[in-house]
Order: sequence, then structure tokens, then C-alpha cells
Amino acid sequence: MLGFMKKIHGKEEGQAAVDRRQGSGPDLESLRPAQETSGKPEVPRKILVVGRGDTLDEEAVDYAVNLAERLGYDLIGLNVNPALGQKSRFFSPYKYHLREKFAQRAKTAGEDLKKVLAKKGIGFEQVVKFGDLGKAVAEVNRQIKRIEFVITQGGVKEAEVNGVINLPVFSISGYQGEKKMARESDSRGIGLMGKTVGFGLGTAVLYAAVFMNTDTVMQYFTKGAWYAALPIATVFVFSFVHGAFSNYLWEALGIQAPKRVAPRPTAAKRPVARKRPRPELRIDT
Amino acid sequence: MQDIAPEAVKFIDLNLMTITFLFIVGFIGGLVSGFIGSGGAFVLTPGMMSLGVPGAVAVASNMCHKFPKAMVGAYKRWKYGQVDIKLGLIMASSAGIGVWVGIMIQEWILKHWGEAGSNLYVSLSFVVILVIVGGYVFYDAYKTAKSGGEEKVTSLAVWLQKINLPPMVHFKTADVYISMWFTIPIGFATGMLAATIAVGGFIGVPGMIYVLGVSGLVASATELVIAFVMGFGGTVKWAINGMVDIRLTLIILAGSLLGVQLGAIGTTYVKEHMIKIVMGTIMIIVAVSRGLAVPKYLKQLGVISLQESTISILMGASFIIMCIALGIGALIILGSMWKAKRAETAAEAALVLDKSY
Repeated sequence: MLGFMKKIHGKEEGQAAVDRRQGSGPDLESLRPAQETSGKPEVPRKILVVGRGDTLDEEAVDYAVNLAERLGYDLIGLNVNPALGQKSRFFSPYKYHLREKFAQRAKTAGEDLKKVLAKKGIGFEQVVKFGDLGKAVAEVNRQIKRIEFVITQGGVKEAEVNGVINLPVFSISGYQGEKKMARESDSRGIGLMGKTVGFGLGTAVLYAAVFMNTDTVMQYFTKGAWYAALPIATVFVFSFVHGAFSNYLWEALGIQAPKRVAPRPTAAKRPVARKRPRPELRIDT
Repeated sequence: MQDIAPEAVKFIDLNLMTITFLFIVGFIGGLVSGFIGSGGAFVLTPGMMSLGVPGAVAVASNMCHKFPKAMVGAYKRWKYGQVDIKLGLIMASSAGIGVWVGIMIQEWILKHWGEAGSNLYVSLSFVVILVIVGGYVFYDAYKTAKSGGEEKVTSLAVWLQKINLPPMVHFKTADVYISMWFTIPIGFATGMLAATIAVGGFIGVPGMIYVLGVSGLVASATELVIAFVMGFGGTVKWAINGMVDIRLTLIILAGSLLGVQLGAIGTTYVKEHMIKIVMGTIMIIVAVSRGLAVPKYLKQLGVISLQESTISILMGASFIIMCIALGIGALIILGSMWKAKRAETAAEAALVLDKSY
């Protein structure tokens, strides 16, 4: 167990970075109980619980723990953050910082769970991955032997995991699933690049078409009258293609509206000022 | 109009410098208009005119790039929940009338005083409106920033909202309940100005904020809807006259569609009064810039006599100041976006540290 866990950490870049910073002490410490449980001659079978976000849903964990107790399996918790998986030129130090924080949070939650499970005699390991969820699961499956099946929590669709590994996948939908779901997965990132390039090419073609035939274009486009439809139709077409391109371009560069919803401008309530004369005691003189 | 257009209007030759200039100005103009709901055109119209494009062609080509840009920007900001479509459409329909009236005035001036008259009219409209409205917007933004960024509804808006003059309309996103009769004049003025200088937003946005009581964020986003509708209408009119130089339009569009989306994203990062600050700052600087251009047109009309060297100095200064306005606007937007992003990062880090299990 110790051996292959080391192997995981060695291979997993984000996690490895975190471990290096924290020193190897706590890591080895955290592995010891697992070793004890795997003190049996046989490597224990395991259930893999997968979730996006830094904590695993209670529902999914409860279900997995119940099963593990009955079957005598161990648990592997896998926290995947697809949003921080993008590795490109624009991968900022800030994102590395976020990765570290994510891993830290996941670990803290994992340690707590581990203590609880240790009392029940269930071994628990925490793995943190960044990038595509399916790939992360496949990687863990390769590195950790004897994973029997996978439990995904709300927000993670079975299909995301199903295609990449040869294991039964069960989805537990919890009320927190929706909330914990990351905004976008890395698979979208690949599509994003494709879209950016595609629309970029489309834009280039359109511009080339107009500017290589400037004389003809100018002749007809400035004729006026019904020819007015030409420039108008042209700008519409350009704005759809080029507009889509620029939209994807900014997104691909990582510039997009922050997660928080823009402050809804609820203008100050303006109650109609109504004078309500209070009854007063007056002395008529 | 149609018969004089081909003779009176010359389309300029394009070179690399012109293209680069238009692209960059288009981008920054787009950035500004994505952020404050209008703009770009106020730099582009004089910018193109300084490249030798006749005023009417500059306005026409500008308007033709404006409506698709506004459409893209409006869609983006609508997704952020900032656009009051009902308000936009009501304002736009009255603005439509304003646009047609404005164009008629332009055509009349072009017919009677020629290009110089048209240029003078455009420049003077710039100066007068930008100084008055821009001055007030800037003053208000300064006041808001000083009092801690809390936007207040003007007493004029509060008073108008109390007047029960049917049909009363409730604008949900803007959260305003007001008689339709007060929205119409603002829409009309927006359209008039748009037809003249291609930036109706300099009346529309402050009008919505100060007269109707709409917040700056919603006003600037809704302005994009108005800009789209009347930009479209205006373009049809100009294109029928054959005034649109599609080459200029497309080059500007290349930059501005990139800019408008960045500007729209920017509104989700910054404090609301930043919109007013950017708007007021730009309006005042551009007014100064256009003011310096007025003597040239006056001379062309024979009203005053000036030496050529003085005029070229004035035009040079006008151009530089215009570029400064543009640059400052963009810098404020990008700077405040950057700052907001940093603050958010810090807050997120703090949240992470606070989170305990």
C-alpha cells in the first residue's frame, strides 16, 4: 500500500507539489493506518468515492461507508478539481495557489473522515487530482489495485466516469451535489480551444473574402437603395462569427465573469412619502 | 441626397497605419462601450474624420459597426442579468423617431452648408452635450466615490416616479415604476444625439440614471439594447444613401467585438460608480478635444480667419487629446478590473483560511 501510494504521489503533479511543501512527514503519518488495515495478507478491496470539489458529499460517503462496512472493503476518496486542470501558457501562479488551497482543504476533510473510519476499521485514503474527471479516475484505478466499484456523488454524471474505466459506477445524488459542482470541466476546455480556433478561422476567411475583393465590394455596397441590405447582412454575419470567436477567446484566456453573480441592482426602495398626521390634542382658543 | 452622395462623398484609401489605428480604436472603443453602454463612436467619428473620412461617411460607417457590437454586448450583459429589455425597447422605439429627425437635420445641413457645415455641426454638438452632461456625470461619480460608493437615486427621479400619469410601467430589472411619458423624451433625445454624433448613450445613460432613477449598471447595459435598435434603424437609412464604407466598418468591428465583450466582463468585476467615473472622464476630455477642432470648420465656412499653422496645431492637439481620452478610459476600466480581481483573490484566500472543519 505504502509503495503504490508513493507512486501515486510521485506521478500526480499537483499533489506532489503540495506534499513537497508540506514535507513528507505528515504524508507518511497519514499512510500508516492504511498500512495497518492492509496488514492482512491480502490487499483489501476498495470502493472509490469520486467528487468534484474539496469535500465529499455526506450522502455519497454514508452510502459508501455502509457498503464498505458490510463488505469489509476500504475506501478511497478522490477529489477532482477540473477547473484547475488547465495547463497552458496562461496557467497563472494564482491558479497554483488555488490548487494548493484546494488540496489542503480536501486533505483536512479527508483526515477527519479517516479518523471516523478508523474507528470502524475501514481504511481510507485521500487522493486529490486536477483536470479531467474521467482521466483522474482512470489514473487512480491504474495506480491503486483492487478497486471494485466507483461511487460518484451528485453533480458527477456516471457517463463521465463510465467510458474510461471498466468498473461498475453508481451515482449517489445528494442535495449538496449541485452546489459543489465546479463550473466547468476540463473536457469543455478542449472543446473551448476547438471552438476558439474554429471561429477564429471562420473570421479570418470572412475578412479575407471582403478585403481581397474590395473594389467589387465597395462598388455594390455603396450603391444605396436596396443594395443597403448588403452591408447590413455582412455585419450581421461578421458579428455572429467574430463575436463568437471573441467570446471564446476571452474565455480561453481565462477572462470571464467571476463566479459571484453581478450585484443585482435593486435600486433603493422608494416608498411614497405619505404624511399621516398624528392626532394631536389642541386647545382651541 | 441619393443623387449627390456619389459626387460629394469620397471614400478614403486604406493603408496599414489606417487599418491598425481603426482596429485599436475599435477595440478600445468597444471596451468602453461594453462597460458604459456607449462610446467608442465618440472617438471613432472624429478619429475617422481626422483620417480624412467625410463626417457623414464617418457617422454612417460608425453606426453600421455600432449595432452589431451593441447586439453582442447586450447579449453578454443580458446573461449577467443587467439588461432591462422592456425599458430598452420602450426607449428604443422613441429613440427611433429621434434618429430619423436627427438624420433629417444632418441631411439638411449637408445640403445647405456642405461638408464643413456638417463637420461643424457634429463637433459643436459634441462639445455642448459632452461638457454639460459629462460634467454632471463626473461630478456625481466623484461625489459617489467620496461618500463610499453608495449610489443614490436623484430627487428628480424620485419626484417623477411619484407622478401617476398613465400608462405607468414597471421595469423589473431596473426596479423602477414610472410613467411611460417620462421615458419617451429621454429616448427621443438619445436618438437625436445618436444620429448626430453616433453616441446616443451620452444622453441615454445619464437620462436613465438621473431622470428615471435606474442604477448605473442597468442603465449602461440597457443602453446597449437601445444602441442596437436605433443603430440598426440608422444604418438602414445611411446605407440606403450608400454612405456606409464597409471596409472601415469591418475593421472597427474586428477590434470592437473583442473589446465589447471584455468591457461587459469588466462590469461584473468593478464597483458600480466606476461606470460613471469612466463615462464622465471620457466625455469631458473628448469635449475639449472636439472644441479645438471647431475653429477649423468655422474657417472653412468663412466665419473666422485663422492661419493654417494655427489650425494644424489645433487639430494635432485635438487628435492627441482624443487619444488621451480613449487611453484613460481604457486604463481606468482595465485598472479597476485588475484591482477588483486582485481583491477577489485576496478575499478568496481569506475565505480558504477561515474555512474550518
